[in-house]
Amino acid sequence: MFKELDPILHSQLRLAVMSLLISVKEAEFTFIREQTNATAGNLSVQVQKLKDAGYIDVAKQFKDNYPQTTCKITPKGIEAFEAYVKALQQYLQVGKG
Amino acid sequence: MEEKQLTEQESLRLITDMINKARSSFHESGASAILWGSVVAIAGLTDFAQRFWNFRVGFDIWLVVLAAFIPQIIISIRESRRRKVVALEENAVDAIWMVYGISIFMLTFYLNVVPGVSERMLSDQGQELMVKNLSTGEVMHQPSFVISGYSLLLLLYAMPTLATGIARKFRPMLVAGILCYIYFLISCFTTTVYDLLLNGLAGITCWLIPGLILRNRYLKAKSV
Repeated sequence: MFKELDPILHSQLRLAVMSLLISVKEAEFTFIREQTNATAGNLSVQVQKLKDAGYIDVAKQFKDNYPQTTCKITPKGIEAFEAYVKALQQYLQVGKG
Repeated sequence: MEEKQLTEQESLRLITDMINKARSSFHESGASAILWGSVVAIAGLTDFAQRFWNFRVGFDIWLVVLAAFIPQIIISIRESRRRKVVALEENAVDAIWMVYGISIFMLTFYLNVVPGVSERMLSDQGQELMVKNLSTGEVMHQPSFVISGYSLLLLLYAMPTLATGIARKFRPMLVAGILCYIYFLISCFTTTVYDLLLNGLAGITCWLIPGLILRNRYLKAKSV
């Protein structure tokens, strides 16, 4: 029985954001934007969706008088990401067979 | 990057690409390592030179280590402002160096205080340390001292260096940490003069060289 791929993660930009965040403790919004080559508007929308799903924490603060947004993966996000990768591996193994 | 549905293969490729991107984005500037490597090397080698060639620079050269805290504070503030991403092992590495800082302060305190305290304790018991010159038979007062105190510094340098090398998988620091343990072992058999030379070498191998390697990588990554 195949697990259905998590629809929150099974989208290019959201998966890219989660893959970046799984490898770091936390990252600034600008860093994520640079690495994904996404527009600020699109990235904001996808980050908000991940936040609403409880997969990431978003902290907004001021640094040197400039607004700074920092993103961090949550334990729920790590769990979802691991489950997503496992499900992917299942699909790919069947594909090979 | 657009919002689109992915095939399983595309998903896996994207995950791998992004994880690699995140990992290759950590570039320490190396400034702190260069600072402390230079300071310890200057202090150790100058102190060695003073004792080996019998001259004085006119002040305690190890005070440069204290003075280095000022640029270190400036470096830390500037780097925290510039930092856009925090690595997973960052907290652990910071904790290692903080504990090292406390330990080196305590060890310096020990090395400076224990001889005086020992002398007072002996004096309270109506005793003092004496040394006898076996060839002339002359007996002289010997001020109390910690035997091979600089070896303890080497032992302490090795710990955070090796731990950081392992945590960051940074081979130059890993090798330097092991080398520093070797310096410590050598220093157990050498006089204080050569222990100072080993301290200077430790500054160069543990921090200055790894710092310069980090700096080189950082500048290369910045120019891309």
